Amino acid sequence: MKPSANTTLLAYTFLAPALILLTVFTFYPMLYGAYLGFTEYGGMRFAQGLAPKFIGLDNFRTLAGDDLFWTGIKNSLRYLLVVPVLQLASLAVAVLVNKQIPGIAFFRGAYYIPVVTSISLAAVMWEWVYNKDGTLNWLLERLHIIGAGQGPSWLGNEATALYAVMFVTFWRGFGYYMVLYLAGLQSIPAELEEAATLDGATPWQLFWKITVPMMRPTILLCSLLSTIAALRSLEEIVVLTNGGPLNSTYTSLMYVYNKAFQGFNFDYGMASAAGLVVAAFGLILSFLNFRFFRDNGAQS
Amino acid sequence: MTSLKRNLTLAFALSLSLSALPAAQAQASSPVEVTFWSWYLSPKFDGYLKDTISAFEAANPGIKVKWFDKQDSMVQDFISSVNLGSAPDVVNLNIDETAKAAQNGFLAPLEGLVSRAVLNSYYPQPLSNFASLGQHYGLPWYGWLNEGVLVYNPDLLKKAGINSIPKTMDEMMDAARKIKTATGAYGWVPALKDPNTASMLGYFNADGLGIYGADGKAVFNSSAHVALLQKYIELFKGGFIPEDALRREAFQLGTEMYAQNKVAMIIGGPQALTRIRDNNKDLYAKTAVGVAPLGKAKIQTGGGMALVVPKASKHTKEAAMFAAFMTNNTNQMTFAKMVPIVPTTKAAQNDPFFKQKSSDAISKATSMIGAQGRFINPGYRAPGNSDDLYKNFNDNIEAAMLGKKTAQQALDDSVAFWNANMKK
Repeated sequence: MKPSANTTLLAYTFLAPALILLTVFTFYPMLYGAYLGFTEYGGMRFAQGLAPKFIGLDNFRTLAGDDLFWTGIKNSLRYLLVVPVLQLASLAVAVLVNKQIPGIAFFRGAYYIPVVTSISLAAVMWEWVYNKDGTLNWLLERLHIIGAGQGPSWLGNEATALYAVMFVTFWRGFGYYMVLYLAGLQSIPAELEEAATLDGATPWQLFWKITVPMMRPTILLCSLLSTIAALRSLEEIVVLTNGGPLNSTYTSLMYVYNKAFQGFNFDYGMASAAGLVVAAFGLILSFLNFRFFRDNGAQS
Repeated sequence: MTSLKRNLTLAFALSLSLSALPAAQAQASSPVEVTFWSWYLSPKFDGYLKDTISAFEAANPGIKVKWFDKQDSMVQDFISSVNLGSAPDVVNLNIDETAKAAQNGFLAPLEGLVSRAVLNSYYPQPLSNFASLGQHYGLPWYGWLNEGVLVYNPDLLKKAGINSIPKTMDEMMDAARKIKTATGAYGWVPALKDPNTASMLGYFNADGLGIYGADGKAVFNSSAHVALLQKYIELFKGGFIPEDALRREAFQLGTEMYAQNKVAMIIGGPQALTRIRDNNKDLYAKTAVGVAPLGKAKIQTGGGMALVVPKASKHTKEAAMFAAFMTNNTNQMTFAKMVPIVPTTKAAQNDPFFKQKSSDAISKATSMIGAQGRFINPGYRAPGNSDDLYKNFNDNIEAAMLGKKTAQQALDDSVAFWNANMKK
């Protein structure tokens, strides 16, 4: 049945407030930001009240020749390694905390604490862990894995810094994804698992044949969210290493951030152009996530 | 007729004056509001700032000051406020940020806003630190000296067999080796690559090695520059400088490690002593203060804060009056008595406060440097696009420290980058 004109009008009336807010605070800034990528718009033009000057692809040409930007892109792609580890670990722990055992609420809450811990506080704590005289080296010395005073400065070493920061991302994101997976697990109808158990399925088969296929939409959502978050990682890096040592933790978003917010020398044009390239990588990776999880889901 | 005309004129004049009355009343009841942004001064100095603002308002009944303390987001907030048409009237910026803001056209030149007598009340060098293209953009406020004083732990020096404090930077490096070998503590934490600056350029400058040639091109890759950098590389590779010095601000790291007996000496202002006193009272009691070693050029360097007036301010005249009041000798001296800053007004050099004798480390250090405001000088001019150039320079210094490049290669690469990308 075709909706009446009044119903349509009512629907649009209800949609309008959200649409107006989205237009003002999301669509317009996004489109304007994309446009700035093709303009020259730095501190000088801004202070003089001049409009952005259209310069075509010049910013992208500059980016193509900027080694620092490509170092950032490479590090951002390496940062994606955290995604599968984070997803597997949070799914596995979600399965564990889904059991109704005494005191399980404590564990669910405990795993979530890092999500709500401020990054400044977390940074101080992880500094203590990663310092040359820090907790991690103390532990490794006690376990006789390294000799006294032989431990590295984990954040000051080119080989370890990125992984050290990635672990902080893992620690911060783990509880969040675990809660999403937990919600997904609790929405699986109990009768499906009961039927499979009656048919003689082992716990392993139950997990792979029932739980994982039923969880595919949640896995897709979590994988997508964590891929985008990894590509946009910035906070941990700024507070722990500021991109060093030797730019080994310098990510693409740090490049965007530095261009946009380097005081009065800011360059919105270059920052937007770099942001567009990072967004393009994000789109490609999102597409791959959809292909991988949605298609497989359809087959199962 | 004449009488009628006179009466009409009188009535007209009366009606005019009556209609003007509410406007005059409104003007009297709504003084000009000047917005003032300080930087990282609240809550510690709330009392000082509020008292000084009250004194200004009492002396200038037509002006009200609305004060905010900005911290991490100062510059970004400044830019946003200009965009929104609500720019502050007086802003507290440091030398580098003032230069960047002035070069990009954000600030009003002070010529014409304050008298020559006001400008002449500051030492010439601190005043010129805030000048750009022949105009002044900031009234110098409080400052500090990079070399300042040598704060040291006599016990650690004694254990290392050092009987007198180092007088040159070479002696300082020797002392660092002896102290680390004998006690396990580091001698001092030199600034290798502090954020938002190019620390090693400071050491070049202190040794009289040029940063720019006559044509304005970068020239810090001569054999003398390389030799000096090499000394620091060897010190770092030998384990005589903490690894974290490549990652954290040296002064902060040094002060923190000093308070834990892990560093024997600090070169800098008395502000380090305040932190030591707050963190380790026993160590503070035995801490001594002496003359800091200078580079071969025997010059002091330093930094400072200014009060600037944004071009977008709607009350530039009143803003400049307030900036001049905040930075005058009386108010800078009041501030200096609360916290060991270095005043930038000429009159401060004769203040009896800086001539007092005391055995307390902070008082002693304050007396040694408080009247030295004339030496506040960053030493070299920041390039136009300093953020990009300093990053490249620091990346190269780090690569040299970590053995990825030779000292020569690192400085050559950086000079090439600077000369290809430098904006005046």
